[in-house]
Amino acid sequence: MTVTAPPIGRVLVAGGGIVGWSAAAALRKRIPALAVTVVPLPPPEDALADRIQSCLPPIINFHDDLGLTEADTVVRAGSGFRLGTAFEGWTMGRSAYVHAYGEHGRPFGTASFHQHWVRAALAGEAEAFNAYSPAAALARAGRFTHPAGPPGTPLAGFAFGLTLTPTRYHHLMRAFALHLGSVEREGAIARVRLAGESGCIEAVEMADGTALEADLFVDATGPRALLRSALGLRLEDWGRWLPCDRFTMAEGPADAGEPPLLDTAAAEPAGWRWRSASPLLATEGRLFSAAHAGAAEGVPLRQGRVAQPWLKNCVAIGDAAVRVEPLEWTNLHLAHSGIDRLVAMMPARDFNPVELWDYNRQAATEADRVRDFLALHYLASERPDPFWREAAAAEPPPSLAHTLALFRARGRLPFYEEETFGRDAWLAVLLGQGVMPRASDPLIDVVPPRDSAAAMAALRSGIAGLVPGVPSHAATLQTLSRQAAR
Amino acid sequence: MNEHTIRNVVIVGGGTAGWMAAAAFARFLNNGVTKVTLVESEEIGTVGVGEATIPPLITFNRMLGINENEFVAATQGSFKLGIEFVNWGAVGERYFHPFGSHGHDLEGVHFHQLYLRERKRRVMEDISAWSMSAVAAAHGRYARPGPEAGFPLSQLFYAFHFDAGLYARFLRAYAERGGVQRVEGRITGVNQRAEDGFVQSVTLASGQTIEGELFIDCSGFRGLLIEGALNSGYEDWTHWLPADRAIALPTTYQGQPDPFTRATAHAKGWQWRIPLQHRMGNGIVYSSKFMDDDEALATLQANLEGEPLAEPRRLAFTTGRRKLTWNANVVSMGLASGFIEPLESTSIHFVQSGIAKLIALFPDRRFNPVERDEYNRQMRDMFEDVRDFIILHYNATRRDDSDFWRYCRTMTIPDSLARRVALWKAKGRLFREGYEVFATTSWVAAMLGQGIVPDDYEPAVDALDEERVAQALEQMRTAILDVAGRLPTHAEFIARTCAAQGPAPKPPLPEFVF
Repeated sequence: MTVTAPPIGRVLVAGGGIVGWSAAAALRKRIPALAVTVVPLPPPEDALADRIQSCLPPIINFHDDLGLTEADTVVRAGSGFRLGTAFEGWTMGRSAYVHAYGEHGRPFGTASFHQHWVRAALAGEAEAFNAYSPAAALARAGRFTHPAGPPGTPLAGFAFGLTLTPTRYHHLMRAFALHLGSVEREGAIARVRLAGESGCIEAVEMADGTALEADLFVDATGPRALLRSALGLRLEDWGRWLPCDRFTMAEGPADAGEPPLLDTAAAEPAGWRWRSASPLLATEGRLFSAAHAGAAEGVPLRQGRVAQPWLKNCVAIGDAAVRVEPLEWTNLHLAHSGIDRLVAMMPARDFNPVELWDYNRQAATEADRVRDFLALHYLASERPDPFWREAAAAEPPPSLAHTLALFRARGRLPFYEEETFGRDAWLAVLLGQGVMPRASDPLIDVVPPRDSAAAMAALRSGIAGLVPGVPSHAATLQTLSRQAAR
Repeated sequence: MNEHTIRNVVIVGGGTAGWMAAAAFARFLNNGVTKVTLVESEEIGTVGVGEATIPPLITFNRMLGINENEFVAATQGSFKLGIEFVNWGAVGERYFHPFGSHGHDLEGVHFHQLYLRERKRRVMEDISAWSMSAVAAAHGRYARPGPEAGFPLSQLFYAFHFDAGLYARFLRAYAERGGVQRVEGRITGVNQRAEDGFVQSVTLASGQTIEGELFIDCSGFRGLLIEGALNSGYEDWTHWLPADRAIALPTTYQGQPDPFTRATAHAKGWQWRIPLQHRMGNGIVYSSKFMDDDEALATLQANLEGEPLAEPRRLAFTTGRRKLTWNANVVSMGLASGFIEPLESTSIHFVQSGIAKLIALFPDRRFNPVERDEYNRQMRDMFEDVRDFIILHYNATRRDDSDFWRYCRTMTIPDSLARRVALWKAKGRLFREGYEVFATTSWVAAMLGQGIVPDDYEPAVDALDEERVAQALEQMRTAILDVAGRLPTHAEFIARTCAAQGPAPKPPLPEFVF
């Protein structure tokens, strides 16, 4: 007879930033049997998932799963919508491009849309690739509405993320987690006590002498990984491909007028800088290589992923598991993804190694593909500065080399599990930075180029015709605000 | 005190009005017999956008023995020397409606008459140059004149800007210390005596019943008792004052707080700007007939100096007054008794004045109708006087840039106002009547400021020698200017005497209710 291990009952979450409270909320909401205690340690300045304003589209699903509506996550939390990022100066001599979310064009004839575009571009007859993105068109016009309409129409297939006002969003998540029954236990952590035999975490000892025991410890303390590091950890270093190793960040009030739908990421001689703005708050930041910039200011950032985010009874979430620059805004997304995975794969109290192994495998695959996508921005850069020349000359990691090779041949993209960025995103950056296939896919040879051209023109005019009817971003926020009034 | 003394007073609603009444009763009904209960519900929000006041509030504070510095510190308050009106007579024009007087009279002749004659002889400074409050305001300066202050400092009259929510909290502490009992709960029923409709008790959602002999209805616009139970009727003044909407939006601001309120006329409404210690109160008042809510909010947002600290708060109202402020054993106060837009910061004054009059005419259990009728007469007069003064601001304009202003400029006005304007227009005559809130200075400032210049001055002025008068006017003007220059700045005065405790609170985080 098999004895079933008892279920996990008590969870302790260390970290009182957005990540910690989001983890607590999700655990209580989706596994109500868990008793969740949060030790709200303030997030350190390198905990980017707790600080970055710009968020990717899946945050909407995260909110939906929690049952949070836009009345809270947008209106009361002071968030704005966002449709993508404008990349400036990454390839000198080419115009800036926008990585906008969701569909770019639509497949017709026998092949996917981008093959038609590639054929036209190789013939020198294509508009910018993001001219076929409804999100990019809306963003440029400062207009926003939720995706809607019959499938196949331009306003049905785009995606959007949010730009947060972190203090307010943090307040929301904390209030929500407490509402769901999480318990807050303030204080500083003095020591992590391990059990002699198993090497598991037995308790977290607080500065006031009390010990907080739990079955499972969730480490949301940022890159220092206060709990998880007590079990020893190894970092897979990404410095070869992601050469920035410091950052600075400053906040200020948002500009008056329409809140922007695009944030910007502009290349600089030894790194890049960003600007994001919610309706209430703007942040500007710079990423750079200390050696190339000849500067030692800012916060150090060693990029990479923890080899085993989940070890024994401790799982690292967010920046405690993956330390990555905010390019493409993956920090909070990876935290959410870790939380979702933890909920979906919650083991029993025996912490069966097979289950943990699969958690770690999925987490590693996901993180590595994020690394690939970010590394693409550097590898496909074209700038004369030494920093950029070195970055572009780096040997790509094998999975990215595979992707690039396949794409350069005939514009095809490989399939990887756990991709954060879908085909449209890869295409937006590849084609936006000028990575071109040598030839188009033979599948489209049956469609005459002039049919392609007519269909592409129809797509462009379809988008152009719909944009003026969409309300401005501010007007949409105002409508939501009216609906949310209580 | 006898068997007729009222034993139980019940205040319904705990906004600014409710707690002002509770605080005053704690002081003036402290006879050992009369019990005061205030019923309010946390569920029901309060309106409380009225953050600016007029000088009589000083009297209210003194009556209650409230220390002014403590009061200002507790409410993030600042001092107000008057209101600057921008774009009212015509786009680009400004004038200042100061507290206190313009200059001083000479040999029994009103200052403004002297000014009007002198103005025919030479090019004159704006009349506000003779107002101590206006000149101090223009220089961003303020000090509290002591009782021994002579001219011109004695003419520095002031009022307050404050956070109405904090004010209610401040008064609540005062009232509860004074024995007022607060009951938390939402009122679900009003029980009336069959024969005469007198309210005997109110029932709460919890089932609890609260009995009283006198009820003070501070339940806001809806008038739970005065209208809901007693159908007292409402006199609608929208014809003369078409504004029926407001949006309030506090913002951050840097720099020093101005010691005055600003009221800026836009194409289809007007905007208030009220500096507090920790934020700027802003809002727009408009008529839904002439501007929709979106355009109003956009207009407001386009004219803000700082960053919003909260979501816009929308208010809808009907300007007018309850036909019977006091009906049966219910006295309405605050919004329950009527509403006139905050252009001259009168909302809190109505409450204060209603309380003072009620204390002066306080009934006993027999409810002699004479007291009620006198109260209602005085309240009606006060509402109508203020109404006329506000109408003047809209009607006396040369603006022609929207249907809104064309309507206001050409609408018929109350006879009482028409008569007053005609008297002024002829020879600059003004007569203060009864308990009028706004005295000569106010009418002179508004009439001249909005471009109504009398054709002539009073013949009595000609008994005074022109050169001597010119000299006296010049002396007054320079004396005021000289004193203003020696006052501390408004910010210095606040920092020294009544700065809010601790660092200014961070912008309030939104309330999440799941």
